[in-house]
Amino acid sequence: MTNAVLTGLVLGGMYALIAMGLTLQYGVARIMNLAYGEFLIGSAFASYFLFTGWAVNPLVGLIVIVPVSFVVSFLLYKIFLTPLVRRARTRDALEVDSILATFGLMFIVQGILLTMFGGAYFSYSFLAIPVTVVGEVLAMNRLVAFALAVVLGTVLYLLLTRTRIGTSIRAVAVDPASAPLVAINVPQLSALAFAAGGALVASAGVLISMFLTFSATSGVVFTMKALIVVVMGGIGNLMGCLVAGMLLGLSEALVATYIDPGLTIAVNFALFLGVLLVRPAGIFGRGGR
Amino acid sequence: MLEVSGINVSFGQHRALSDAALSVSRGELVVILGANGAGKSSLLKAIAGLVKCGPGKRVTLDGRDLSALPAHLIVEDGLALVPEGRGVFGELTVAENLLMGANPKRARAIEAEQRDKVLTLFPRLGERLKQMVRTMSGGEQQMVAIGRALMSNPELLLLDEPSLGLSPLLVKELFAAIGSIRETGMGVLMVEQNARESLRIADRGYVIANGRVTGSGSAAELQSDDSVRRAYLGGVT
Repeated sequence: MTNAVLTGLVLGGMYALIAMGLTLQYGVARIMNLAYGEFLIGSAFASYFLFTGWAVNPLVGLIVIVPVSFVVSFLLYKIFLTPLVRRARTRDALEVDSILATFGLMFIVQGILLTMFGGAYFSYSFLAIPVTVVGEVLAMNRLVAFALAVVLGTVLYLLLTRTRIGTSIRAVAVDPASAPLVAINVPQLSALAFAAGGALVASAGVLISMFLTFSATSGVVFTMKALIVVVMGGIGNLMGCLVAGMLLGLSEALVATYIDPGLTIAVNFALFLGVLLVRPAGIFGRGGR
Repeated sequence: MLEVSGINVSFGQHRALSDAALSVSRGELVVILGANGAGKSSLLKAIAGLVKCGPGKRVTLDGRDLSALPAHLIVEDGLALVPEGRGVFGELTVAENLLMGANPKRARAIEAEQRDKVLTLFPRLGERLKQMVRTMSGGEQQMVAIGRALMSNPELLLLDEPSLGLSPLLVKELFAAIGSIRETGMGVLMVEQNARESLRIADRGYVIANGRVTGSGSAAELQSDDSVRRAYLGGVT
């Protein structure tokens, strides 16, 4: 039981982190990024490459990969997505356009990863040292990943709630039409939020690559889970990401341990549908914190 | 201080404004009267850079040309709009809304001072700083909206129907506050349905009908003008 809970917490922390990035992209920049998971896998491969090729510690790799992903996402928004934003008449129109565009992007990134790495599963052994936590044995890499996810999530939360720029980002999330009235440059801030989302998913990719196996085609699973968590928690809501992410991680781990590992995705969706039936706007509602 | 001319706004086939022009001097409170759909809100939005205008638009504030600037830069230049429906950030707290108001560079240096002024003007906001704006009453939200606009340290305040949906008592309170804002030397340009109350505190007014400025005059002139009385003041008083 304790082991399942610990595994679930670690997994849930990852899901929360991934979802926070997506909620920035979807809730603030209004881009439903279907290629989101591909960025996670791309970062996982980058970390793999740095570690196995040049013996770069993944934690050091973070310092390289996260800024690169930030810049790539920023440029992606500026060059590839800004034309869509400009011509979209309504938010719904932008959503449809961005889904189609990023759906294509997903195949491009996936194709590149497939030609580079093939369809095989990859993993590397980093900090695979057993440690005992409340009487259960857990790999060190999972603990480190969890700790970093907690740190990153906390920093993001504080940035968004305690600073002017963070509050501006939330203001755009809750009311983009009114944001220009308080001197917010909405297109600029949207690009920034999209890039920040890219940075977050890259960090999650590196952390996950430390303890999970991954392949060029596993991105879509993460996109799906991130989407579930974001919608469950309430779009644009960080606290919602945290709670819904933990809920998802815990339920997956418990079901895999006590019922059947094959049922995890079914449970994901059962939970998702359950929340949507009872609270259509998510556990915490839209926007806010 | 504010000079506006050549405002043309169309929504598809519908011409909302034709060649509208007006001006506001420093410390002056000017009210725009007109029926529903006359184009009053479109005029304020056009000045604030929120709607696309046809050719000929010219907006200057103290000689600075704002005609082609996007909305977020117009606020930076000292022109703040409180839109119809308030446009407050409902999911943020009162304090956060005021913080956002002080986003323009011109507001940063005197942010604390300005905040004190706003909280003196609307003491109720001081008691509710941590409250989510969405959960407040209409009158309180209007205070947040005006307070947020004042935080930007504007030279000119644009108000779109501030009294909409408020009780008569609150309207009196609100207009008293708007009157005292003008006393600080700030210009105020206000669109109002409530002609009677607004002319009481205004210096001057414009009348808009069918997208055109059809009349203007001092508040006293408008109050005694027969056509204005018939149309907006409910006949003989």
